[in-house]
Amino acid sequence: MKEEQTVQTSAGERRIIIRTIGMKKFYNRKGQITQALRGVDIAIFDAEFITVMGPSGSGKSTFFNLIGALDSPTHGRVFIDEVDVAQLTAEELAFLRCRKIGYIFQSYNLIPYMTALENVTTPMAFGGVQTDEARKRGMDLLELVGLKERWFHRPIEMSGGQQQRVAIARALANNPTVLLCDEPTANLDHHTGDEILAILQRLNKERGVTIICATHDHRMMNVCDRLLWIRDGAIERIARRDEVKVELGGID
Amino acid sequence: MLSFRRIVRIAFSGVRYRLFRATITVAVIAIAMAFLMNILGESLIKKSVAEAARSRIEELHRTDTWIARLSVPRTPEEIIFDQAGRAPVAKTCLDFFSRLDYGRRRILSGSAESVQIFDLLQDAEKQESFFAALANMKAIRFPVGREEFVSFLASWPELKQQIRGVREKEQAAINRIEQARGERSILEALTRADGEFGQAIRDAGFELDDREAETLAAQARDIMDSQLIEDTINHTELRQAVAARKDLLPGDITVNIIWKMLRDADSSEWYLEQMAAAGLEVSGLDAGRVRHLAERRARARLLVKAELRTADTGGGLMGIGQRMTWLALVSMLVCVVGIANAMLMSVTERFREIATLKCLGALNTFIMTVFLIESSILGLAGGIAGTLIGLVICVVRMFFVFQSLLAHAFPWGSLGLGALISITAGILLAAVAAVYPSLRAARLAPMEAMRIE
Ligand SMILES: Nc1ncnc2c1ncn2[C@@H]1O[C@H](COP(=O)(O)OP(=O)(O)OP(=O)(O)O)[C@@H](O)[C@H]1O
Ligand SMILES: [Mg+2]
Repeated sequence: MKEEQTVQTSAGERRIIIRTIGMKKFYNRKGQITQALRGVDIAIFDAEFITVMGPSGSGKSTFFNLIGALDSPTHGRVFIDEVDVAQLTAEELAFLRCRKIGYIFQSYNLIPYMTALENVTTPMAFGGVQTDEARKRGMDLLELVGLKERWFHRPIEMSGGQQQRVAIARALANNPTVLLCDEPTANLDHHTGDEILAILQRLNKERGVTIICATHDHRMMNVCDRLLWIRDGAIERIARRDEVKVELGGID
Repeated sequence: MLSFRRIVRIAFSGVRYRLFRATITVAVIAIAMAFLMNILGESLIKKSVAEAARSRIEELHRTDTWIARLSVPRTPEEIIFDQAGRAPVAKTCLDFFSRLDYGRRRILSGSAESVQIFDLLQDAEKQESFFAALANMKAIRFPVGREEFVSFLASWPELKQQIRGVREKEQAAINRIEQARGERSILEALTRADGEFGQAIRDAGFELDDREAETLAAQARDIMDSQLIEDTINHTELRQAVAARKDLLPGDITVNIIWKMLRDADSSEWYLEQMAAAGLEVSGLDAGRVRHLAERRARARLLVKAELRTADTGGGLMGIGQRMTWLALVSMLVCVVGIANAMLMSVTERFREIATLKCLGALNTFIMTVFLIESSILGLAGGIAGTLIGLVICVVRMFFVFQSLLAHAFPWGSLGLGALISITAGILLAAVAAVYPSLRAARLAPMEAMRIE
């Protein structure tokens, strides 16, 4: 059923997984106010692959923190799966982060003293999955990212690309609906970056995971459904990939 | 939510991952706990030794007690104290007056001392001024109510009369003892406490059972014979002989050197021969007995030393004494600050890890628990190490001070309890020190995980 949805990318009647209304975020550091986001309204659909682009300091990471329930907006509201994040208690927020959303960081953020498998099973433990079950699912996920043989390696014994793949497996631990990636390929070389993108694309296509990806990486355009440009804390433009392709083609 | 085992494992991994820092923290805790255990152990050992020494010293002084009892009647104060049940108010008041400092006593009772005060206060006017002066001394609380004291003062002449009666009876008994011993000194007479003199003591009205009589006689003989040996120090020839044997100058020979020498079998035999040759009366002595006397003296000296060294026990927390309690508290405070600092550094260093865990769904309580447990693990390790170190140091040190006395009075139970207290203190200190750092960790925003240096 989910695969059907991904096929008809441009269809109008789709479930909205994340919606923001007038979302603003101001940072106040020593009296100096930075307007990181100045009113963002967007609806993101289930099983969509969105790429967020914009110059450095434009507010991409801030946008991520807000729609990922890691931070609360100064003004406006954020709905995740039709639930207002501001209404949730600390426990419910932890549950949301644990079950609904997977995070992928530019710097991988694996727990240094845990093996690959332990890293992957930690969110399952938070979610209350039994140890044996978690082990089995963790191995399956490592197989998915092609690291089954390295389950006992610690982060320090792995390359950046391998670490990022473990991080993806970990983000998928509790079958989240949304995967938030903040510059997942920024620290990787061209080839490894391609591998990561391929994995993300496969997740999106095969499992119907909503993927939101902030990036400076132009290859990302080839895999996404929609592109979102942010500049100075506001949405500059939203466009479907085919539209952008045409433009780029025109320029070429 | 999460099994305790997993929390402990994460905490433990944190320790292992930062082994160097953890080792330093453990060392800080260990030093503080070693200090605590050391003073705790010493005070417990001293307490136990003091108790053991007290009863032995009492034993040792039995002859002295009897000599006193058989030569002078007890003072009124002694009678009051010995029979406190009959006059509780008198005892309490005497206690109170004896503890007063000189200036205050002067104000309250002029030049009168102890029971004389009761005589003095028979006068109504003096009583009035006494209570007025007492009311002015804000820091002092008189242990007896005014009415009670006044009624006691009224009954004092009668009590005094009774005491006088007791003393007269004792004097009469002492007179009979004096007749019985004739020309002998009391000590000499007491060597026959298991024979005719013992009977005389009983006849005079004192209570003396057979066992007491035997130990008394034996002790009196020991004292007399010891005296004989100690007097040899004044014998120039003997001193020279000892000096030659010990390769010392005759002027350096002391009683102690002679006694020490006599603990050795050959030397005691040799010394007896020397004494006989010097014309001293040694018919009642043989080498074994001389050695017994030397051992007895060594034991007595050890006891006196123990009494001196344990004179300061009993005050403050758990017998540590106030000063030491303070030192222990300060050392623990320093330790807490040290642990807190180390834990804060750990939190600061691991902000990304903590924030990531929160992104993965960790609750604040989980993060707190992890850090509290991590600190407690350090506390346990430091507590055990420090307690062992402190215990070994204090036992070794105390063994050199008290020697055989400690072997007989080794406080296994209370030292074990002390060790348990010290280890628990280590864990508690570490846990308390980790409260603030773990709160900081728990409050860390999950979005910190996104931060990139
Ligand atoms: N915690 C903070 N406190 C104060 N200002 C902040 C904070 N985080 C971000 N900002 C400011 O908000 C603005 C947006 O930052 P943000 O990190 O969202 O940019 P970005 O688009 O992710 O940039 P980059 O591409 O370099 O990662 C910046 O001007 C930044 O200085
Ligand atoms: Mg950013």
